[in-house]
Amino acid sequence: MNNGKDARSYKAQKVIDRMGQKLSRQIVGSLTACVHCGMCTDSCHYVLANPGDPTYAPAYKADMIRKLFKHHYDWTGKYFPNWVKAGSVYTDQELEELKDTVFGKCTNCRRCTINCPMGVDLATFNRMARGLLCHVGIMPEGVEYVAKEQWEIGNQMGVLKEDFIGTIEWQEEELQEEMQDPTAKIPIDKMNADIVYTVNPREVKHDPRSILDAAKIFYMAGENYTMPSEGWDMTNFGLFNGDDDLGGAVAGRVYDNVRELKGKKLVMSECGHGYRSTRCEGPNWAKQDIEFEAESSVITMLRYIKEGKIKVDKTKNPGSFTFHDSCNNARSCGLTEEPRELLSLVVEDFREMYPNRAENYCCTGGGGAMSMSEYKARRLKSGKVKAEQLTATGAETVVTSCHNCVDGLTDIIGHYNVGMNVTQLVNLVANALVVDDRINENTTKYAAELATLG
Amino acid sequence: MSNLLHFSEHTLQEIALVFMATVYFLRIKWFLKWTLAKERQPATGMGDTNPKKGARYSLVMIMKPWTMESTRSKPFMYAQFVLFHLGVVAAIALSFIIPYGPGLLKSAALVSAIQFMTGAALLVGIMRIIRRVTNPYMRAISSPDDHFSLILLTSWFAFALMAASNDISGGEGIIQTFFLLTAFFLMYVPFSKISHYLYYPFTRTYMGRSFGRRGVFPLRKKPAYETV
Ligand code: SF4
Ligand code: SF4
Repeated sequence: MNNGKDARSYKAQKVIDRMGQKLSRQIVGSLTACVHCGMCTDSCHYVLANPGDPTYAPAYKADMIRKLFKHHYDWTGKYFPNWVKAGSVYTDQELEELKDTVFGKCTNCRRCTINCPMGVDLATFNRMARGLLCHVGIMPEGVEYVAKEQWEIGNQMGVLKEDFIGTIEWQEEELQEEMQDPTAKIPIDKMNADIVYTVNPREVKHDPRSILDAAKIFYMAGENYTMPSEGWDMTNFGLFNGDDDLGGAVAGRVYDNVRELKGKKLVMSECGHGYRSTRCEGPNWAKQDIEFEAESSVITMLRYIKEGKIKVDKTKNPGSFTFHDSCNNARSCGLTEEPRELLSLVVEDFREMYPNRAENYCCTGGGGAMSMSEYKARRLKSGKVKAEQLTATGAETVVTSCHNCVDGLTDIIGHYNVGMNVTQLVNLVANALVVDDRINENTTKYAAELATLG
Repeated sequence: MSNLLHFSEHTLQEIALVFMATVYFLRIKWFLKWTLAKERQPATGMGDTNPKKGARYSLVMIMKPWTMESTRSKPFMYAQFVLFHLGVVAAIALSFIIPYGPGLLKSAALVSAIQFMTGAALLVGIMRIIRRVTNPYMRAISSPDDHFSLILLTSWFAFALMAASNDISGGEGIIQTFFLLTAFFLMYVPFSKISHYLYYPFTRTYMGRSFGRRGVFPLRKKPAYETV
C-alpha cells in the first residue's frame, strides 16, 4: 500500500535495499556515466520497430532503473532529485511498470552497449533490475515457471532423468540404424571421457535430431565422450531472470558433474545464452574457477574437420545459406569467426548478413523473451529489422548457433512471411559427413547382428 | 584592469578550481568504494586478444568513429561532438592564458584559432539545444541538468569567443562575464553530467577488459581465417 510519499510498500523497500547489495563498481559506472547524448537510440531493434515512441529508447529504459540508483545511492540525486531526474518507487504498481520495461522492452542484447561512446552497459544493469524484481516475486509468469523448473528439476524444461535417458537411448538406436553399427553408443555417465557433452533441454524435448547429429559426428570422429545423466543442461535461466544464485547453482551443477565424471573437457552444444552462462558468467555466479577446458561444439566440430577426424562434403548441403549471430555468442563471447569458418566448410553458397558479428540484430527471442508470452506481440513487432536483414540476403536458409535463436527466427520468418528455413551448424555438419564407406564397412562387418536388429 | 576583474581572473578562479578538485576527489573516492566485480571466466573467443588489448581499444574507440555503428552512421553528429569538445578545450585554455600568459594572445593566429574553436562550438551548442528540445527522444531522456549544462556551456562559448582577443579597451564586461561564468562552471561541473569525463576512463576500461577477455574487442569486421 502506498500511503503517501514516505510510505513504501514492502516489496518496493526490498527492491531498494537489495539494489545496494547488487551494485558493483562496473554497474555504478554505467549508472553514473550516461550523458543522455542519444547516440544509442537507434541501435535498439525495439526503437526501429516503434518510431516516435521514446519509451523504447535505451537511455529512457535505463533511466527507469537509474532514477532509483540516483535517488538512493548517489548523493547528487539525494540532494537535487528533480534536477537530475532521480526518483523512487513506492507501490507495487510502480514495480509492475518497471517489470514491463526491464522484461518487456529489452532483450538484454547489448547492441546499445557496444554503441555507447561512454561505455554504458544497460543490458547488465537491466539484468540486475530483473533480479531485484524477481527477488520480490514480480516477473512474467513464464519466467517464474522456467526458473522454478530449473531450480527444482535441474533443467529449464522440467525433463525428468528417466525421460532424458530414454531420449538418449532412443537416439542411440537411431544412430545404430543410420550407421549400420549395433555397437554404436551415446555413452551416459562414462568415467574419464575426453569430452563431457552438455545440451539444451529443447534438444531433448523438441529437437532430438540435433543430439543424434552430434552423436554421428562424435561417432565418425571416434571421440571418447559421454553425456552426464545429471547436470546435462548447459542453459541457464539465471542469465535471464537476473538471479545470480540460480545462475551459480545451475552452472555449478554442470561443473560438478564434469568433475565427478573426471571428464577432461566440457563441450556445450549450440546455444548462445547457455554458452555465455556456462563458459563466461557461470564461474562468476558460482564463485568458482573451473580447472577443465570448456568449449562450444562449434569449435569441436571445426577442429575435427581441420584435424582430419571427420570428412565433409559441402555438395551435400545444396542451396544458399546465411548466418545469424546469436547476441550472446557474438557480442558477449566473441564467437564470430569459428561458426563462419565451419559453415564455409559445409555449404557451397554462404552469404553474409548485414550488419553482422557483434553488430548483428537480436533474433528478438533473447533475454528469455520466448518464455514471456504476454509480450509476444511486442516481440514480433520488434523483429521488423531482423526480417529485413534476412530478406536482404536472398538466402534460402538461415543458420544459427543457438536454439533460442532458432525459435526466435522461426517466429519472425513466419510473422513477416520471409519464406526461409532455419537450421543449426550441427545439422549441416552431420548432413555433410562423408559416411558411406563407413556404413558399407559396418554393413559387411555386422551383417548377422543387423539382421537380428531387424 | 579593475580590481574586480583581477579578482575574477585570479582569486575567484583559484577558489573555484580548488573547490572542483575537492569535489572530484570525494566523487572518485565514493566511486572507488564500490566493489569491483571479479571476472573469473576463462578467455573465450579468438585467441588474439586479451583484457589489456581490449581496454586499450575500448579507450580509443571514440577517436575511431568507424568502430561504432552509432558514430559511423552519423558523421554529422560525430563532427559536432569533435567541435564541441575542441571548444571546451579552447575555452579552458583561454581561462588560463588570459590571467597567466596574456602575452600569448598577441599572436593573431592563436586568437583566431581560439575564436574558430569556440565559435564552432557555439554553433554546435545552439544546434544541440534545438535538438534536445525538438527531438522527442532527446526530450524524453533529458533532465533539467542536461538542459542547463548545455545552455551553460553554449553561453560560455559565446563569451569565450568574444573574450579571446583579451581586449578591454571597449570595457571589461565581456571578459568579466567570461570569468564569472568560468568560476560558476568550475563549481557546477562536479555536480552535473558535465563531469562524465571523470567516469569515462573507468567505464571504458572495465568494458574493454571484459570484452577483450572474451574476444569481442577489438571488434571484427572481416573473417579472421582463410576459407578452404
Ligand atoms: S547510454 Fe551512452 S549513448 Fe546512450 S544516451 Fe547514455 S551516454 Fe549516450
Ligand atoms: S540491450 Fe538490446 S534490446 Fe535492450 S535496450 Fe539495448 S539494444 Fe535495446
